[in-house]
Amino acid sequence: MIEVEHLTKRYGAFTAIEDVSFSVPKGHVLGFIGPNGAGKTTTMRVLTGFLPATEGRAVVAGFDVFEDPVEVKRRVGYLPETPPLYRELTVGEYLRFCAELRELPRADRLRRVGEVMERVGLRGWERRVLGTLSKGYRQRVGLAQALLHNPPVLILDEPTSGLDPAQNVGVRELIAGLAGDHTIILSTHILPEVEALCAQVVLINKGKIAAAGTMEAVRAQAAPAYFRVSLDAPGVEPAAVARAVGALAEVKVVQPEGEGLRVEAEPGVDPRPAIASMAVGRGWGVRGLERTIPTLEEAFLSIVGREGA
Amino acid sequence: MTATFAILKRELLTYFVSPLAYVFLGVFLFLAGVFFYLGIALTGEASLRVMLGNVSISLMFVLPMLTMRHFAEEQKTGTFEMLMTSPVSPVAILVGKWLASLTLCLVMLLGTGLFVAILAYYGDPDWGVVATSYLGLLLTCGVFCAGGLFASSLTDDQVAAGMGGIVLLMPLWLVGSASSLVGEEWQARLDHLALLPHLRSFTKGVIDTADIAYFALLTFGFLFLTFRTLESRRWR
Ligand SMILES: Nc1ncnc2c1ncn2[C@@H]1O[C@H](COP(=O)(O)OP(=O)(O)O)[C@@H](O)[C@H]1O
Ligand SMILES: [Mg+2]
Repeated sequence: MIEVEHLTKRYGAFTAIEDVSFSVPKGHVLGFIGPNGAGKTTTMRVLTGFLPATEGRAVVAGFDVFEDPVEVKRRVGYLPETPPLYRELTVGEYLRFCAELRELPRADRLRRVGEVMERVGLRGWERRVLGTLSKGYRQRVGLAQALLHNPPVLILDEPTSGLDPAQNVGVRELIAGLAGDHTIILSTHILPEVEALCAQVVLINKGKIAAAGTMEAVRAQAAPAYFRVSLDAPGVEPAAVARAVGALAEVKVVQPEGEGLRVEAEPGVDPRPAIASMAVGRGWGVRGLERTIPTLEEAFLSIVGREGA
Repeated sequence: MTATFAILKRELLTYFVSPLAYVFLGVFLFLAGVFFYLGIALTGEASLRVMLGNVSISLMFVLPMLTMRHFAEEQKTGTFEMLMTSPVSPVAILVGKWLASLTLCLVMLLGTGLFVAILAYYGDPDWGVVATSYLGLLLTCGVFCAGGLFASSLTDDQVAAGMGGIVLLMPLWLVGSASSLVGEEWQARLDHLALLPHLRSFTKGVIDTADIAYFALLTFGFLFLTFRTLESRRWR
């Protein structure tokens, strides 16, 4: 549904994004993450036809963004980083204006405006003046605007920035409900949100793609999986237990962690059977042996580096 | 067409829900009233000629203030991003905005109908001249609004856009009174470029295609420059 190939965008001499490629299959939600200034907004502006790219190609909903921008714009709903609102208009006036811009047939406009207001939780807010709305409600109006023409593709630039936790959950549920019918690119700083919503992740840093793929792949790529081991060895020093585990061929690194041990192995190697049989052989009990995949947050920090985050 | 009309409606809504339109109408009608009174008091002639000439100069200062927000504010608040990512052509956006400011001009000019009514009560105005004068003024408004829009497209700072618009339009007035600098012979040539000589034939009741072409060309030129600016802004 969205194909991005070798996209580069320079502002004068400054390269904002360089050689960015990724694709999003129909109905999927792509989490687009990276530190501030990484180039997320720039990429989204190119995909929506707002900015031309310096090099590269992008196909959205079957049309080339640079050759058929109008056809792409008809099929994309876009929520920019700051909701694009006219402060002096009411919610109803604004959404009806957007419906006209979006070429909705006259007969459908009012009905659609009512539907999207219902969907984003703006029922009864029609006569409120946009300039007086709180951040959360502005964001909802921005989302309503993006959904009006029921576009197959949604591009949402930080839809939850500045919202309180309850509003966050609301927006998250809304997006989860939209997935499947819509192909979505979602940029955000809230990584648990990406973990909850997105099967695919693109991590961009300093204008370049640092990691991309399924959620598991990105998490594993950033930091290898490790194992939490907890053995019950009465009368044996913890250091001796660690040495016994470390002596196994399958184990690479052992570190004490809390009550137990943190064990790392070569990628693709699972040391748990070896640890279990060694423990059983010595008459030790096994309290726990679990494989732990780093969180997206850990992956993010290990790739971007703590100073960049 | 739908999009142009949608933009036009939205702009008019913005004018009239904020104090903006009313302030402009008030200021403009006050200035026009002063010129009307002075025109009659100084010349003793019951005509609109003096008022309309002076009104056109005040429009040069007032209209860029009216149009300054059109693009500057949209760039600043981000609504421009929404307009440009909707399937609407920049031309439709541009024309919608221009028509909106022209509609407000029309309302302002209708307001000066009061002065015409006063003239008609005391004297016997030539209605043909009144009609051509207003046509001339409306064409002038078209040029000024287009110039103001161009200035607004150049920056996201409203005040800069307003000032820039005035500076942009001033030469159209100044080249008409440069004879002390360039001599009479050159002034006669410069008069072709100046706005007032073209407006003057309208206020004499004459409709000349050359004058209409002058206003049309300037309006189109400014709108075209605005279009190019909107397109090229995105390349920066
Ligand atoms: N119009 C512009 N002109 C020049 N530089 C820009 C412009 N817009 C963004 N940038 C720069 O491009 C980089 C990427 O910005 P952006 O795409 O907004 O990042 P993100 O959305 O990931 O925070 C930043 O360093 C930013 O300063
Ligand atoms: Mg951004």
